[in-house]
Amino acid sequence: MTTDAAGERVARPRPTLYDLLFRPFGYVAGAQSLALGLAAIVAAGSLGRLSSMHFDGVLDIHTGRPAPLSVFLYEGIVDWLALSIALFVLGRFVSRAGFRALDLFGTQALARWPTILASFVALAPPCRRLAASIAAQALQPGALPADRTDVILGGLLFFAALLAIVWMVALMYHSYSLCCNLRGPRAALSFLVAVVVSEIAAKLVLIRILVS
Amino acid sequence: MKSLPTICPSCQSQLTVARLVCPECGTGVEGSFRLPLLAGLPPDDQRFILDFVKSSGSLKEMARLLGVSYPTVRNRLDEIIARVRAAEEEESA
Repeated sequence: MTTDAAGERVARPRPTLYDLLFRPFGYVAGAQSLALGLAAIVAAGSLGRLSSMHFDGVLDIHTGRPAPLSVFLYEGIVDWLALSIALFVLGRFVSRAGFRALDLFGTQALARWPTILASFVALAPPCRRLAASIAAQALQPGALPADRTDVILGGLLFFAALLAIVWMVALMYHSYSLCCNLRGPRAALSFLVAVVVSEIAAKLVLIRILVS
Repeated sequence: MKSLPTICPSCQSQLTVARLVCPECGTGVEGSFRLPLLAGLPPDDQRFILDFVKSSGSLKEMARLLGVSYPTVRNRLDEIIARVRAAEEEESA
């Protein structure tokens, strides 16, 4: 319970588990979501450094070469900014409502939090062995294949990481829909355009940064 | 006191006021009076508008009061604005 401007007691709605998992931005936005989101991007990058899990595109996820922490942080920041800028520009054109950039950028940052789970999953030994085996076979076709247990367990864990990315996309869409007050085909289509444009832009920027 | 019904339970049309009474002397006035625009809005919207005015029009304060995020309150306000505009157009038609 809280009190309104006249001092009367007002009941606050309690978010359900579904709200917290899939519609959290009805309760968290603005500076709070930006701070939490940036912390999530740094956490995912730090875990990615340990598990060599790269997010080198807005929706890309794969294990790769070990790299300095800065590479993983660049990936998270560029992915976040690329999609947020694309959604901001499209939102201004498509939406009739006024909205704050802080809400969109903040909730888009926080929407990336499932990448922490994906990076964490890749730390599991079966995932590491499976990824190493696939990389070795790609470089040397005659290399030993992975152990069957690693294939099954690692495959299941990588599938869980993939589900985390699907969850992240659902959160990104919810953030866009809520912040720009858009629903239906207009929201879905403009979101899709923003994802495609930002995916290409993020790839180009990351290649440029990492090569230089 | 009972809350004011604004929608006809039979056909869902907007109700009008047929009789007003002075509670002090019992004088009654009869006729067909249109409800004020805000009285025609759903009770939740009326409550929101009252809280919004009492919060000096601060969406941040409204978000804190309702325990929801700023864009949620902003969208709610946009919905109410759309309803008010539709009611105004209906009145002027």
